[in-house]
Amino acid sequence: MAAVAAQPLTTPVQRATAVTAWHARSYRRTWRATITTAFLNPVFFLVSVGVLLGKLIDDQQAALGGLSYVEFVAPALVATTAMQVGTNDGMFPVMAGIRWLRTYHAVLATPVRVAELVLGAMAWSVIRMLVAATIFTAVAALGGAIDSPLAIFAPFAALLCGLAFHAPLAAFTSSPMLEDGSGGWFPAINRFVIIPMFLFSGTFFPVSQLPDWLEPVAWATPLWHGIELCRDLCTGSVELVATLAHVGYLGAFVAVGAALAVRFHERTLLK
Amino acid sequence: MDDAPLIEARGLTKRFGEFVAVDGIDFAVACGETFGFLGPNGAGKSSTMRMIGAVSPVSGGTLRVLGLDPATHGAEIKQRLGVVPQQDTLDFELTVYENILVYGRYFGLPKDVIRTRADELLEFVQLNERRDSRVEPLSGGMKRRLTIARALVNEPSLLLLDEPTTGLDPQARHVLWDRLYRLKQQGVTQVLTTHYMDEAEQLCDRLVVMDRAKIVAQGSPRELIRKYVQREVVELRFAGEPSVDGRLDGLGDRVEVLADRILIGTDDGDACVHAVHERGVAVESMLVRRSTLEDVFLTLTGRTLVD
Repeated sequence: MAAVAAQPLTTPVQRATAVTAWHARSYRRTWRATITTAFLNPVFFLVSVGVLLGKLIDDQQAALGGLSYVEFVAPALVATTAMQVGTNDGMFPVMAGIRWLRTYHAVLATPVRVAELVLGAMAWSVIRMLVAATIFTAVAALGGAIDSPLAIFAPFAALLCGLAFHAPLAAFTSSPMLEDGSGGWFPAINRFVIIPMFLFSGTFFPVSQLPDWLEPVAWATPLWHGIELCRDLCTGSVELVATLAHVGYLGAFVAVGAALAVRFHERTLLK
Repeated sequence: MDDAPLIEARGLTKRFGEFVAVDGIDFAVACGETFGFLGPNGAGKSSTMRMIGAVSPVSGGTLRVLGLDPATHGAEIKQRLGVVPQQDTLDFELTVYENILVYGRYFGLPKDVIRTRADELLEFVQLNERRDSRVEPLSGGMKRRLTIARALVNEPSLLLLDEPTTGLDPQARHVLWDRLYRLKQQGVTQVLTTHYMDEAEQLCDRLVVMDRAKIVAQGSPRELIRKYVQREVVELRFAGEPSVDGRLDGLGDRVEVLADRILIGTDDGDACVHAVHERGVAVESMLVRRSTLEDVFLTLTGRTLVD
């Protein structure tokens, strides 16, 4: 029997952290490209729609639950900011790691296990989402669009929302279905899933404005729950039952998505 | 101190659905040797390597790597493996040094240890001057050398190299062979796959010849040549299609007719050349060379290694 040297194995957390550190290091080279989607676009929307368009419709406050229009829109943009980051990170880095640059294969040649690889990558996205949502919340608060102290929790609610996109998309991207590695699905997901959700899940108007048959569809989207959570926190009107329901709904997306992502990464990478 | 094999496979099998990629092969790799899998593309070499590397579940038979079962002790095995995959898996965004640093962290090595080793390893693979360059613009040979340096950062007991020089130009191949030879002198056990017979001859102490998912022969390069083929080969080339109308009958010990040439295996090449001339065969050119593993493969399978 060839004796195994007493070289101690690292713990799962140490290995997942090493994966997170790798993503952070790569990000030092690519951060410029992410500034627009993660930081500038939300602020542009806040100013153009929230402030400037909002001035024209501020007499509609009853429909907005007594809020000014910018107060209505700003919390939603906290959630959508995290959604954008989570969507991006669930697709491109995963596809690059598995098929384009094949860097995930290098990671799995080491003691790092698949779950550690997936969760380590997700942890890096968590940091990005928290930073993006916090900066946006601060900008909106400084501009007077948010004034409840509970808003300091809004980035965490947004994070949950972002993960509800990241995890299922990471599962989708790693699934054997995308074996050809074309990434041709990504623009379609953006056009037919992400943008419609952004426009119709309560970001710019209450979903009660939707036709009756469409309103339940909006309730089913994870973004609506994320927006509701952020809006409740930013306006200081938190109700326990509603909050638990939103958190539970988003948590289910994250849990199922992450479990499937690990499963599909395994199936694709460890054949 | 221990002469138990580092790798031992019995009836090792890999199936992908209906397709059998590796069909019940047996082999053992001893500590300190360089062991090769020689065979054409699709022979099952890479599938075997992936099973040894604990990134591909075994479908049948038994496999022990460093005395452990990859199915249950994958992480423990990988802690002591160095892996150079067939396709590059470097992070192009990072620098040469950062690629080693990031990789070393997966083994739990402290940063200062990695830094020291990285400097030594980059010196060893002659990339120390590119330490802080990004990886993307490096040549194919440099990238492969970096991959080898990266694979050595955990001071592995066993280095796995899947087609280490495929796609490299001749000069880059020789640089790489030289480095692998030095590792061998340092006592690093190496397992490599190749479809180049010259690579197998240069590097391997012992090898198995694989064809269509099975091992068809094994031994040292010299043993294989002695066992399966004659000492020399006379190669006949023709202006058009080879056509000899039986005029080579009885020449040499073995005649292989290929698309563009005819090979005659013989223990006396000069006598054979003389005989071909005497019989008036209209050849364009003729040469005598010593037999290689390519001839072994051809004899065993009726096909050439690289099509």
